[in-house]
Amino acid sequence: MWKEIGDRERGILRPKSFTTRIKSNRIRTLQISNHKDIVSPHRASINSLQVDLTEGRYLLSGAADASAAVYDVQRATDYEGGGLIAKHKCLFVVDKQHEHGHKYAISSAIWYPVDTGLFITGSHDHHINVWDTNTTQVVMNFKMPGKVYRTAMSSLATTHMLIAAGTEDVQVRLCDIASGAFSHTLSGHRDGVMTVEWSTSSEWVLVTGGCDGAIRFWDIRRAGCFLVLDQSHSQLGRRPTIPEHSATNKALTSKSLSSGQNLNAKPRAQQRKLANGNGTKQSPVGRMPAKGSLRQRLHPGMLSSLDRATAHYGAVTGLKATEDGMYLLSAVTRSYVTKDSMHLLDPEAAGSDSRLRLWDVESGCNTLVNFETVRLQAGKPIQLATSQDSALVFVPCMTAVKAFDVWSGNTSQTFRGHYEYVNSCWFSSQEQELYTGGNDKQILVWSPPRLIADEGDEGPAQDRDNWSD
Amino acid sequence: MDKTSEEASSKGKKRQRDQQPTDPQTNQPHHQIFSLEDNLSFTDTLVALRMMRAQFPRIDKVSIQPFILRSQLYSSVKDRTQVDRELESLRREKVVRIFKLNTGQDDHAIMFLDDYLNQMENVVKRLEEKEGDQVFKWFRTHVIDSKLEPSIEHQELYTLLSLGGMVKDGHISLLINAGLLLIDPNMYWFAIPNIGSVLKGLSQGRKEVLSFLNRRRYKEMMLASMEKKCLRFSPLDMRFHLRDLIGSGHLKTVQTSTGLLVRVSKD
Repeated sequence: MWKEIGDRERGILRPKSFTTRIKSNRIRTLQISNHKDIVSPHRASINSLQVDLTEGRYLLSGAADASAAVYDVQRATDYEGGGLIAKHKCLFVVDKQHEHGHKYAISSAIWYPVDTGLFITGSHDHHINVWDTNTTQVVMNFKMPGKVYRTAMSSLATTHMLIAAGTEDVQVRLCDIASGAFSHTLSGHRDGVMTVEWSTSSEWVLVTGGCDGAIRFWDIRRAGCFLVLDQSHSQLGRRPTIPEHSATNKALTSKSLSSGQNLNAKPRAQQRKLANGNGTKQSPVGRMPAKGSLRQRLHPGMLSSLDRATAHYGAVTGLKATEDGMYLLSAVTRSYVTKDSMHLLDPEAAGSDSRLRLWDVESGCNTLVNFETVRLQAGKPIQLATSQDSALVFVPCMTAVKAFDVWSGNTSQTFRGHYEYVNSCWFSSQEQELYTGGNDKQILVWSPPRLIADEGDEGPAQDRDNWSD
Repeated sequence: MDKTSEEASSKGKKRQRDQQPTDPQTNQPHHQIFSLEDNLSFTDTLVALRMMRAQFPRIDKVSIQPFILRSQLYSSVKDRTQVDRELESLRREKVVRIFKLNTGQDDHAIMFLDDYLNQMENVVKRLEEKEGDQVFKWFRTHVIDSKLEPSIEHQELYTLLSLGGMVKDGHISLLINAGLLLIDPNMYWFAIPNIGSVLKGLSQGRKEVLSFLNRRRYKEMMLASMEKKCLRFSPLDMRFHLRDLIGSGHLKTVQTSTGLLVRVSKD
């Protein structure tokens, strides 16, 4: 360690690589924290966790008893064990008793990306509330056609403040805080949308994963989605630097072309059905007449609605884009409410098709990295987390959280501590700490071990540096 | 048969292995000369595929070409990502074909292309229909050759078959009746014909192995003694099932001082 500091002084080691080295060393020693504890006021399972993106100081959690709470993870509210264990109680809670609070479970709670003055909660009572943090009042309310599974706001956005909402309805809606109305409705999925994520490289690109197994990329400046990930399009590892005109590329273009040319009345009817919203989604009639196809002019943006490629044979329950915006991780679990192409599979088989896939965003190909997952929780969206240099991905697998190496798929660490299923995890790269929340109503903190000796001078002293925006 | 598969595989790049895939195993189905313990892991996917193909149990009632399950590959080669990638490149080189099975749990069967074509021939010979003859030829030359994925859309199937001649709906029904295609709304899955009874044996055998181990007090048994057991409900041998269950995660192996131990994994 001292040698490295000396190297950095002399310029042999770059400061960036010095910090990365220290950070990855700390990440490798993550264990349940011996000096920090978060006291959760929730009385039901915790569905969502997020640390704010501006300071990395406040943790927002949303739980199934319609309560949302905020904790300060950098400053403890009080100390126990002779000043050794820091207890972080919540700064405030909003729950059912609040006059405009949610009535049913909160499935997603996120911070407004620009500052911590607002936060947004989406709940199973079909509402999305925008709250003012300082006064804990609801400033805006959006009503959705179905249970809200996930909400997301782009952290890169400078020109828009749209909340993307994935609900049990097939359409993804974008709500605008500035105007209070819905600005976009994105159609294309055939079943509820469990996860939505904004791209980390472009403020206009949204990625959604549905219960039909499809992962779609939408550019909100134009109609339709521009990419549907297909699990059969794969590439071996990282993309080659020289573009290859392989058969798969041709297959991709020919498939979209052929589906575009053979249009008949069916897609029109399909769209009308989707426009009617949720409820029964009949699988389209299997027989497409080979001859006599009526040429209907479909908007080029809507061609993607005919693309039935699936990224997975199952519902996509988690999506996470890496920080550099180049790769996307998707988690899926087998859903037994089968639609369309899944009725061939045996519904009595033990639900063990849970998998993680790594996709290359630019080429839209599956990189064929095999993550050794055996089981993931089914039926609920889960939140994945990646470490900052994108070397590790933290995945909640049943009652444990596993850290996988992104490129080789090996399990590097397993974090066992929760008593019941884990729903969400968030990695704070500033502190190298992992926060996990699960069905056992607890939020656990996993951090590199701190030596007891360090704790001596800190403590409940008056700290003038304790301020926040 | 073995030689042709070797020649076909040796066309792939950097795979020059001078290896004799024929082994005395196939001539003596009763003795297990290579115990599973010694043969549990291989270095390379192609080596693993060939060895497992050679060790495929002979079934008397049904004539079926050897196939390998994906989970068996995972248990044989350590790095799963490597398996996925090598399998992908083998598939692209048309050395093997991958089929999706309907025994649940995302099963895939891998078969060498020559074996598959032989299987198809055996099935087609039995269906002696005048009209149908051409469909199978068109299927073989146009569809199998160009479509490498396990599934195909209706429209694409139509266009590819039409390259051979006039296609009617009845032709596609013939393909389905022969067991080469499985129908699904709007798309078709490629299937191995005549494999139904073997698949049934596969799922029953899996259940039998798992229930056998679950009934034991500590839910474990030495691999060597496990191998010698005979399965009542499955025509496939114990080794096949063990590899499959280890690879899919239902069983795990533990190294002990007396050898490998097989245990039911709880998760």
